Amino acid sequence: MSGLIAQISTWSPTVAEFLTFSPELAWAGTLCLVMLAPLAIGRNSRTTAGLALVGLAVTAFFTVRVMGMTAADGPKTGLTPDLIGGMLIADNLSLFFKLILLIFLVGVTILWMSVSADEEEDAPEFFVLLVGSALGMALMVSTHNLLMMVVAIEFASLPSYAIVGFNKKNREAAEASLKYMIFGAISASVMLYGLSLVYGFFGTFDLAQISANVGPVLMAGGANRLLVALGLFCVFVGIAFKISAVPFHFWCPDAFQGAKTEVTTWLSVASKAAGLLLLMRIVNLFAQNAGPAAMGGVAVVIAIIAAVTCTVGNLSAYRQRSVKRMLAYSSIAHAGYMLAAAAIFVKAEFVDSFSAMSAVLAYVVVYMLMNLGAFGVVALLESKNGGDDSIGAFSGLIRRAPLLAVPMLCCLVSLVGIPPFAGFMTKWYLLNALGEANQGLYWALVVVIVFNTLISLWYYMRVVVQMFLRDDDQPAFAIPISGALLVNVCGLMLIVLMIFSNPLKSHSDQYASDLFMPTASELAKARAVDSTDDPAELGELAEPGELAAREDSRNLRGDHGG
Amino acid sequence: MFEIGLTHYLVVATVLFVMGIFVMITKRNAIGILIGVEMVLNGANINLVAFNRYNGLGTIDGQMVSLFVIVLAAAEAALAVAICMNFYKNLNTVDVDRADALSG
Repeated sequence: MSGLIAQISTWSPTVAEFLTFSPELAWAGTLCLVMLAPLAIGRNSRTTAGLALVGLAVTAFFTVRVMGMTAADGPKTGLTPDLIGGMLIADNLSLFFKLILLIFLVGVTILWMSVSADEEEDAPEFFVLLVGSALGMALMVSTHNLLMMVVAIEFASLPSYAIVGFNKKNREAAEASLKYMIFGAISASVMLYGLSLVYGFFGTFDLAQISANVGPVLMAGGANRLLVALGLFCVFVGIAFKISAVPFHFWCPDAFQGAKTEVTTWLSVASKAAGLLLLMRIVNLFAQNAGPAAMGGVAVVIAIIAAVTCTVGNLSAYRQRSVKRMLAYSSIAHAGYMLAAAAIFVKAEFVDSFSAMSAVLAYVVVYMLMNLGAFGVVALLESKNGGDDSIGAFSGLIRRAPLLAVPMLCCLVSLVGIPPFAGFMTKWYLLNALGEANQGLYWALVVVIVFNTLISLWYYMRVVVQMFLRDDDQPAFAIPISGALLVNVCGLMLIVLMIFSNPLKSHSDQYASDLFMPTASELAKARAVDSTDDPAELGELAEPGELAAREDSRNLRGDHGG
Repeated sequence: MFEIGLTHYLVVATVLFVMGIFVMITKRNAIGILIGVEMVLNGANINLVAFNRYNGLGTIDGQMVSLFVIVLAAAEAALAVAICMNFYKNLNTVDVDRADALSG
């Protein structure tokens, strides 16, 4: 009884721990600042957005600083009385995701300022909810403790329900938030019940310890296996809800259509990416510690869910008249593509898992740009035509607002995955990772994804045809300069990242590495032993020779996953 | 008389879980569904506390987590009722079947 209490009474976080988790603290500080500032300086929406941007910039500064620390001495855990496994992890993966999330949050804020800032009366509350859900998502990716995971998922979900229904007078928004909240509450309660079963069996909430003990149970069969599998499946349901994997996707199109478009933009990327990276961290941990033999069924389950998710997403997108709803289904399909990569981790082979993780990180970055651009164009158009997001509202857009039509074209073509846009490169990395895994299951996923890419072409092109080839003489309109700049930068970045895809690839390789890797200093040692002839290559992380070297160093170090 | 053991607690928790799921599936009233959610959460709480009491590890993390679950459930209920109120203001009902403006 007294074990934990004794530890708590003597435990306090050290300065080093505070430094490691300074991004989270700065993030929470931003939250308080945005919430309390109106008391001092009044409720001006642009001032609030400016304050939020300053807070996010400070958070980004700390994130980059901690990135430097972990690059020097490897991933850290901490902020916990439990000495075995930290509640929070600061490794390259979580820090990279935090940085992406912050950049995306800035993009969404700029979009909000150019679309809704003028008529919004409750800006401070909006930003508290937005930044709060962002912090929850950042925490989701920085943990492998079940309790922290549940708290983080709820922390991300609860503000999301509220911002979806933020427009209180709007019937559709009220309905969207009700549906989102009911599905969310049900999946959260099921997840917590699963958590209690898993805890009952293993006596711990630390997923590293659970995964180390789960192998024999899953191999043995019988009632224990059923109980543990049921508990873990319930936990998976909670994460699958965040990813909106079929059959847990019903909230997604309704919530995305009813919400304001800035909110849709935010949720379509951030909440899905956070859920996916959390799932990948956990699947990787289980595969490393429990071994691929015990996890064989998991690969099949994830692969089937991924295949069904992208197919259902693409087929449902066909018959939509609302472009926002169409993009919502397209986001389900993209979540399915990324989920396919999670199946690779089950093989527990370093090279395959590594390229899967790297492919997903690159995909998340590019997917963020594509969705910010596409939803940004929808938001800007809606703000000028009284909220009409039907496909007819896009007709003749190249004449009416060329600065919207061109980035929309870039984003849609990139969403299909056709060159010369970065969406092609990232889809290629993904297919490449699946092909390299080289088993029947993964080749089946390759076929499904290629088939889905082909059928997705038609519904994206319907919008392009409306914009460029149809014209029913709707009036031209001017768009705010910040919004135009935002969507055009997104479109331009898609081309730039296609042409200069090496930095994207090498960075995602670098940030994917921590999950599987010994620390950077050990890596440097392994490199020195294994040194190649060309010293310039040491800086590159994308070289195949380097992968082999790192696998060697991992083998030298023994099983890293524990 | 027999002694109350782990199994008895787990049976109560399971009954709560099954009842909660049944309520969620059958109720058309949003508040009713939320009550189902609360039942499942309380089932999870009973599980956590009972497992913690009988697993013989001498820790209290199960009970601590059950406190977290109570707090989460309270936060979720507060927000959920606010959203139901908002829905009621717009549609004069909390029947989830009436939430049919968004579909397809």
